[in-house]
Amino acid sequence: MQSEHSPQHDSAPPGAVSYLASVGTALPGDPVDNAALARTLGVNEEWIDVFIGTRTRHFARDLETGEVRWSLADLCARAAEQALTASGLAPHEIDFVVMGTATPDHLMPATVNHVVDQLGLDQIPTYQLQSGCAGAVQALQLGHTLVTGGGHKAGLVIGGDVCSKHLDLDRDLSSAAPSDLVNYVLFGDGAGAAVVTSTPRGERLALRTVLNRFTGLGREPGQVIDWFGLADRHEDRQAVREDYKAIEESVPTMAVEILWELLEELDWTPEDVDFLLPPQLSGRMTRRITDGLGLPDAVEVSCVADTGNNGNALPFLQLEALLGKIGQGQRALAVAVESSKWIKSGFALEKI
Amino acid sequence: MRPVAIVGIDCRFPGAPDTAAYWDMLMRSGDGVDKVPRQRWDARDFHSRAGAEGHSNTTEGGFISDPDAFDNEFFTVSPREAAAMDPQQRLLLQCAWRAVEDAGVAPQKLAGTDTGVFVGIMGNEWAHLHMTDYAKVTAQLGSGNGYCMTANRISYHLDLKGPSLAVDTACSSSLVAVHLACNALLAGECDTAIAAGVNVALTPALGIFYTQAGLSAPDGRCKPFSADADGIGRGEGVGAVVLRRLEDAIADGQPVYAVIRGTAVNQDGRSNGITAPNRWSQQEVLAAAYRRAGVDPSEVTFTEAHGTGTVLGDMIEIKALGHLHSGRSGRPLALGSVKGNIGHTEGAAGIAGLIKVALSLHHKTVPASRFAAKENPALKLAKQGIRLLKAPLRLRSGPAIGGLSSFGMGGTNAHAVLESAPPYAARPEERDPESGHTGRTTGASGLGAGVFTLTAPSTAALRRNLLVQADALERRRVPAGPLCWSSNRTKTGHRYRFALPAKDTGELAATLREAAGDDDLLARLVGNATGKPQVGLLFTGQGSQYPGMTARLYLQSPLYRRFLNEADEALAPHLGGSVRDLLLSGDEAVHRTGWTQPALFAVEYALAASLTELGVPPALLLGHSVGEYAAAVLAEVFPLEQAARLIAARGALMERLPEGGGMLAVRAPLSELAELVDAEPLVGVGAVNGPRATVLSGDLAALERIDETLGRQGVRTRRLEVSHAFHSPLMEPMLDTFAAIADETGGGVPKLPVYSTVRGRLLEAEPMDAKYWTEHISAPVLFGDAMNRLLEAGPTHLVEVGPRPVLTGMARALRSAAGAGVHSVAPVAGEEADGSTFAEALAELFRSGLDPRWDAVYPQEERQPQRLAPYAFSDAHRFWTRSTVRAAPADLSVVPDHADTASAHPRDETAAHGHGAVLTAVLPSAAEDTAVDPVTRAVIEAVAEVGGYATDEVSRLSLLYEDLGFDSVMIMELKDRLQERLDGLDTISVQDLLPRLSSVGDLVDYLQDRAGSAVA
Repeated sequence: MQSEHSPQHDSAPPGAVSYLASVGTALPGDPVDNAALARTLGVNEEWIDVFIGTRTRHFARDLETGEVRWSLADLCARAAEQALTASGLAPHEIDFVVMGTATPDHLMPATVNHVVDQLGLDQIPTYQLQSGCAGAVQALQLGHTLVTGGGHKAGLVIGGDVCSKHLDLDRDLSSAAPSDLVNYVLFGDGAGAAVVTSTPRGERLALRTVLNRFTGLGREPGQVIDWFGLADRHEDRQAVREDYKAIEESVPTMAVEILWELLEELDWTPEDVDFLLPPQLSGRMTRRITDGLGLPDAVEVSCVADTGNNGNALPFLQLEALLGKIGQGQRALAVAVESSKWIKSGFALEKI
Repeated sequence: MRPVAIVGIDCRFPGAPDTAAYWDMLMRSGDGVDKVPRQRWDARDFHSRAGAEGHSNTTEGGFISDPDAFDNEFFTVSPREAAAMDPQQRLLLQCAWRAVEDAGVAPQKLAGTDTGVFVGIMGNEWAHLHMTDYAKVTAQLGSGNGYCMTANRISYHLDLKGPSLAVDTACSSSLVAVHLACNALLAGECDTAIAAGVNVALTPALGIFYTQAGLSAPDGRCKPFSADADGIGRGEGVGAVVLRRLEDAIADGQPVYAVIRGTAVNQDGRSNGITAPNRWSQQEVLAAAYRRAGVDPSEVTFTEAHGTGTVLGDMIEIKALGHLHSGRSGRPLALGSVKGNIGHTEGAAGIAGLIKVALSLHHKTVPASRFAAKENPALKLAKQGIRLLKAPLRLRSGPAIGGLSSFGMGGTNAHAVLESAPPYAARPEERDPESGHTGRTTGASGLGAGVFTLTAPSTAALRRNLLVQADALERRRVPAGPLCWSSNRTKTGHRYRFALPAKDTGELAATLREAAGDDDLLARLVGNATGKPQVGLLFTGQGSQYPGMTARLYLQSPLYRRFLNEADEALAPHLGGSVRDLLLSGDEAVHRTGWTQPALFAVEYALAASLTELGVPPALLLGHSVGEYAAAVLAEVFPLEQAARLIAARGALMERLPEGGGMLAVRAPLSELAELVDAEPLVGVGAVNGPRATVLSGDLAALERIDETLGRQGVRTRRLEVSHAFHSPLMEPMLDTFAAIADETGGGVPKLPVYSTVRGRLLEAEPMDAKYWTEHISAPVLFGDAMNRLLEAGPTHLVEVGPRPVLTGMARALRSAAGAGVHSVAPVAGEEADGSTFAEALAELFRSGLDPRWDAVYPQEERQPQRLAPYAFSDAHRFWTRSTVRAAPADLSVVPDHADTASAHPRDETAAHGHGAVLTAVLPSAAEDTAVDPVTRAVIEAVAEVGGYATDEVSRLSLLYEDLGFDSVMIMELKDRLQERLDGLDTISVQDLLPRLSSVGDLVDYLQDRAGSAVA
């Protein structure tokens, strides 16, 4: 949504600016291709190619043995460590850690605290945002706020998801409905992190604005991930549910609105955008959404076809790919939609 | 121009059956355009991609759902008449009703008022289909057609006596109707106006016209200001708004969606062709509306454009807007048009836009405009000071201004300027006592629980609407008090009256749902009243008291608290203590008669005053012994203060009498006891409660002797727990002192019918004075006689005014056949009674036909209007007398054949030119196909097998996704089956198949092509 009184006509630059100094990512194990997935789960390989369009993904659980090899905390700590090292900041310069995830290792302690523990940080504020695909952007927004107005100078922003809890390898999927099947072939595991600073450091990517908005009033969720406790763990309900029709109908439209809201907020024209980081639903959906965004001159930076939809890791994987491409003075826009309760999110970057 | 408030809205547009769905669709940038429903016309018959003569270039448009549904029983319209009515009339009628309810007004309350009705309409296709069949023109058809009747029907069925007219200025009709409605309000012609618009497409005529005029979009979609804009797509809709002068709306506390600040209407005059839009007239109408509204163009934040999505129309509209906005300061004007979502709804276009603007201002968000992301660069919008709404626009929290354009094909242009509702609009100012009531109404109100009410003309309608309300409440929480109050104001007037006390919205929603599905529960909560209840108030006597009586009610109900405090203050100077404190502390002293009598008096006074305040008219009064004191105050025998003094003295004097007296209830008629009583000078008849219910009162030893005698005779007796022998000769010592005080307190003739338990009958112009009250002390309580007389007067309800039901039970025993239908109501049902109990008593009276003064049920802060889901009409009855319109003569029996005869000349010509093409479009049946063609047979078998259908359920026309429910996995399987069956074919890939999978026929054609080329 645009704001009627946009700051663009004020004499001051639009909003406060923070900076991304570095990015780190972590993908568990080797990529799992469709043939391997088809073998293990009894899914039709061509169906995955045609209807999902995702080529490979990574799983924290071993597909052959079912053994869990990495926790979410492990992956997030690896990504954060990478980002920290790349930033050139000393660990003691990190003032806070914010993490977004939909699939924490435990409900308590929050996974962010295990991550911080693994990183050897102490005596700093930590935050964990419970969120789906928009969680990474929400974490970025909070990090942005903390360094631009919260009295902090630098912090770690992390996003990651591990879907192995719901990856039931014992199921025979040969007769499963598409809405059920898709949960097995769409998703992957991974983590990403960035160091946010109040002054330009490292990669010197200025974070111009961050959008994060709930727009789901009165709407049924497009995506639900359930969790089970002692009392209800034997109930026979689907752990992951999606309303693909609603997602296919709404996400492309929401993506266009997010794009234009960011552009108008910053007074950028479509021609000003050098790189586009579109929503990463699946190889096929991302292609469709990107076509609909109508930025033919912008270079698309996507990863989902290779990484699978690994939730809160995606924006960081895209950012990492962007870092190798973006030159000084170039601009990038990221658009993400969380279809759970229809959250619009996005951000704008400029390398200075 | 003085401001006009939009207070109520209802609508139905393509893809959006009601206002909430409309807003939801706008916020989702939803698409309401779809294929022409088969019910309207057979789109294939009239389709020509190239737009050949007599054809339309599209098979799509914006169609509303269920245009044939009409709740004729609700409006008491006979099925025959309903069937003869233009569906536009039927839709408007229901829409207007719901809009009035949305305004927080029970539509019946408008009956007889000068409310005006203004309808914009430009389509009369029903008449084209029906009035041309002259042999079949009936009286019903006559009144079922015509623009005028759309408005007049609303006035008729709602009994509205203000101006009532229909306007046709083509596509600007409904905004012109709004303009006229505002002017009528401001001229004082009416105090409420319903402005509406309607458009239902029944024939392909206009689509063909648009195509022939080069104005029709091939995909049936308006794409306003888009680079892809290629013409108009037709849309349907019905919408109504309820308008008030803003000051009236505020004074009445009506919630306001938005305010109309200014409207203007003008004409192109002799412009460049009668149908061509005119830039200069458009900018003049914009300027005129801004002038009338007193706004500068740069103050207008956003505008809902006419935006038909024709290249020329868009260009002219932008230039006209640009003339006023290119030089504006601040951000460019944000522009959009709902036509991108629902098509051009023609006669309803203005109301569709108005409702969108009103909702935008109400929700403080302007929806994105569909197709705006790809704007038409030729419009040079930035230079014109305009930007398209490519994303929703959040409005700032202060006042915001939005504009709305609507232009008619013949050159009548309209523009309106709207503003967000003033922040105080929903809050009624604290007013002086309501007219007709005393200063008491300004005091505290509230029962401690609300009563949710709903009425309907039948139980089926009631069930349906209970579910609708339950659904709405479960979707969004609203505090129970304001919700109930609003239901009392808007959901009244029908015969079946549902009422349910409520403190919590969640529980209320659950019970509404339960009641809708549980006949027994529903029966308990619904009344089917034919008249008003006649209420007898029964004031309970001594023995009914208990510690802490009515304390819960006191704590929960400000209304009851107010009156109990009044009584307490009146009693305190005479008691040396507080009755209120006694009750709240649960003090056992309430059983000492010096406290019992004033405490009962206080409770009964407060209950009776509360009932009066709640609008329960006391038709008949009866007090058992001390109960007569509160009854007398209600009947204005003496003021509260005098009654308080006298009852306090009565209690105190009796308490001072020596103990040792008692009372004995005997199951025997008085006549059988006379001898025994006469033999004991210290025993008298205390009360005669019924033909076999007598109470003796007097000296304990004497009573003991009588009891023994009766015991030997086998007569049942019971000792009453009393401190003194009331109504007995033992009272004698106090009489002189009491009489002296009674002389001072006085007492007049009751102004309400009082059935005296001293006299055993109705008091006829007899004062309840010192003499009466003195006699009252020792005279027997002739309850049985008095109650019988009261019952003979025919009350429908007996309400127990006391701390627990006693007299209503005794009355039940007395009831003759005549009184059998009398209902008992207990505002205080016992020790657990609280605000909900009292609310239930009131609910019961409402079910029986009483219209309480609801304001007294709620404290001031709860009397805030909440919009409730409007009435849900039945869609069980469908009226669509003609079947699908087809191209003649493919189905002569359906097209009005007489009309064809009437215009016989072109008929042969038509047949010569058009029909060959049309007839080929009518496909042979599936059975014929399978007989002749192996590919078709293979496809149908494969589809049937994968989908689990019988082969005769699948035809060429079956749509794989929509009709047969195929999903992507089934497509994969289908591919394999086809490959097996058609072994001559190259390997098919899913990628090849996907674009060919709309209908079975498409798939067959594709595979035949492939098979053909393989052979070749």
